[in-house]
Amino acid sequence: MIIQISDIYWVFWRELKRYSRSRIGLVVRIVQPAAWLILIGSTFAGTQSLLTTTGYPGSYIEYITPGIIMLTSIFSSIFGGATTLWDRRFGYMNKLLTTPVSRISIAIGKMFGISIISAIQASMIIVIALLMGVRLGNPIGLLPAMLVIIAFSMGLAGVSLIAAVLAKSQESFWATMNFLGMPLFMLSSALFPLELMPSWLSIVVKLNPLTYTIELVRTLIIGNSIPNIHLFIDISVLASFVITMILVAAYMFKREVSKAF
Amino acid sequence: MVAVLTERLTKVYNNNTAAVDNISFSVEDGEIFGFLGPNGAGKSTTIMILTTLLKPTSGKAFVSGYDVDKQPSKVRANIGYVSQDIAIDEYLTGKENLILQGKLNHIPKNLLNHNIEEALQLVELKERANDIVGTYSGGMRKRLDIASGLINKPKVLFLDEPTLGLDIHTRHRIWDYINKINNEYGMTIFLTTHYMEEADKLCNRIGIIDHGKIKVLGNTSELKQKVGSGVIILKLMHYYEKENFDKFIVKIKDLHDVDDVRHTDMYLIVSTKEGRTLIPRIFDLSDTYNITISSISLKEPSLDDVFLAYTGKGLRDETGTAWTGMQTVERFRRARA
Ligand SMILES: Nc1ncnc2c1ncn2[C@@H]1O[C@H](COP(=O)(O)OP(=O)(O)OP(=O)(O)O)[C@@H](O)[C@H]1O
Ligand SMILES: [Mg+2]
Repeated sequence: MIIQISDIYWVFWRELKRYSRSRIGLVVRIVQPAAWLILIGSTFAGTQSLLTTTGYPGSYIEYITPGIIMLTSIFSSIFGGATTLWDRRFGYMNKLLTTPVSRISIAIGKMFGISIISAIQASMIIVIALLMGVRLGNPIGLLPAMLVIIAFSMGLAGVSLIAAVLAKSQESFWATMNFLGMPLFMLSSALFPLELMPSWLSIVVKLNPLTYTIELVRTLIIGNSIPNIHLFIDISVLASFVITMILVAAYMFKREVSKAF
Repeated sequence: MVAVLTERLTKVYNNNTAAVDNISFSVEDGEIFGFLGPNGAGKSTTIMILTTLLKPTSGKAFVSGYDVDKQPSKVRANIGYVSQDIAIDEYLTGKENLILQGKLNHIPKNLLNHNIEEALQLVELKERANDIVGTYSGGMRKRLDIASGLINKPKVLFLDEPTLGLDIHTRHRIWDYINKINNEYGMTIFLTTHYMEEADKLCNRIGIIDHGKIKVLGNTSELKQKVGSGVIILKLMHYYEKENFDKFIVKIKDLHDVDDVRHTDMYLIVSTKEGRTLIPRIFDLSDTYNITISSISLKEPSLDDVFLAYTGKGLRDETGTAWTGMQTVERFRRARA
């Protein structure tokens, strides 16, 4: 099976065209994280003194901003597999599958599309955060942070694609993804630092790749991270998560689309 | 060269129904071959095996000389596929759909524009090419779908029920396109249909499939000649001599090619396969016996008769027009959701 960059590009191109033409999808995906940022940011502002005890020098809203950025990308990418399910349902997938484009290229193009869309959504929430007065200690860090967001979203897109090709219906797909999305977010260091969690919880949180991703983003853009997890570990965990998911998703995609739908 | 060849091809789905049951047939290069059968006969399943979408359970299939199971990418490079469901992207414009299809089929840049213009011209969608497909009618979508199957000028084009749910006018236009691409590009066309008229108008050869089995294969006109029953219906003016009338009937029965004659006082029903040549001879006889014919109608042998002869039932029994219509509405609704 040959992987051709131009094939991947054209599959990706379609995903982005669809996204840019669906205004509603764009709004829906941004409303929830924006609400989180505003509501949680002000509700838990009172925990500021607690946060300071962990050695974190910034304000609470600055603390959660990286988490909310990742939440945006989670919301966007975890449901990204839906287009694959629709394509199969409406027969478009069969049309793709009878072109000379390899199955692997289709899967990668889909995942890449999902991840870039997630990154676009994430940059919108960054703009909202800035408008709300969140200071970015290290604005230059935004660029590498975007790469981290794209990478993590690609991994989640893999998860979503796997669920989509295994799902027999839209309902079961959405239910599975809802079931996965929230715990993924809550059981991470998005809202509170590890130091403030009971030890059993911090073990669970340490098993979550999102925790490492958020720490990376926090280090990169806020500039004043809590250095409890080393940068190297963060990157290794993120990279292994993403690569594993891409490989498994590509394999599952190829296997499942050759079966009758 | 043989464009499509199957050998004892079989597909069993998980629920253990043999959707395609041990079928062997071949389609020559440049032919329009029609697979005719009622709903659930196994037409789509066969096409999906030939287009590499499904793996056969047993047996072999070759398209353009390549094994669909072992050399799928070679097969894909040589085919176009227009599925039973309308498969175009509603968020893209008509032209964008074709560009995408062209790019995914690796059409060189210098050919792509030309092919797109040509395809748009053929399906008469030039004016709407830059509109979002979401604003197209069902028939326009189907035409665009067919155009996208042509964009790579495939050696073999698979059309799964190309005119399902279209009005008479659009259906005739699509028949014209199919004939045109077959003539001009020499493209082999493999189509499925459950419309007798479609198979009759378009196909050089047909295969009738029912319950996954091929009932008969052959040249359309030969099949009709073999089993078809034509009839001539005559309405007579009632002021004739009884004696003459009886002689008239006997003489008609004696005519060459007449299979059977039934009559009342006013009507005469002559069964024959050679209606056209018989009519003048019947007129001659009516002159001889002073019988005035007030009207005459001819029903030539049709594929319906062929179908009936080989499957033991009329296609209409299973797919009444009302029901087909409903199913179609359902499909369009689905495709637009
Ligand atoms: N994915 C599937 N899983 C199980 N059985 C299937 C599947 N697809 C088709 N079948 C069965 O296989 C048989 C043939 O179906 P197929 O779709 O090939 O028929 P068809 O001739 O194309 O009919 P139609 O005119 O309705 O399109 C039917 O009995 C159908 O129920
Ligand atoms: Mg079918």
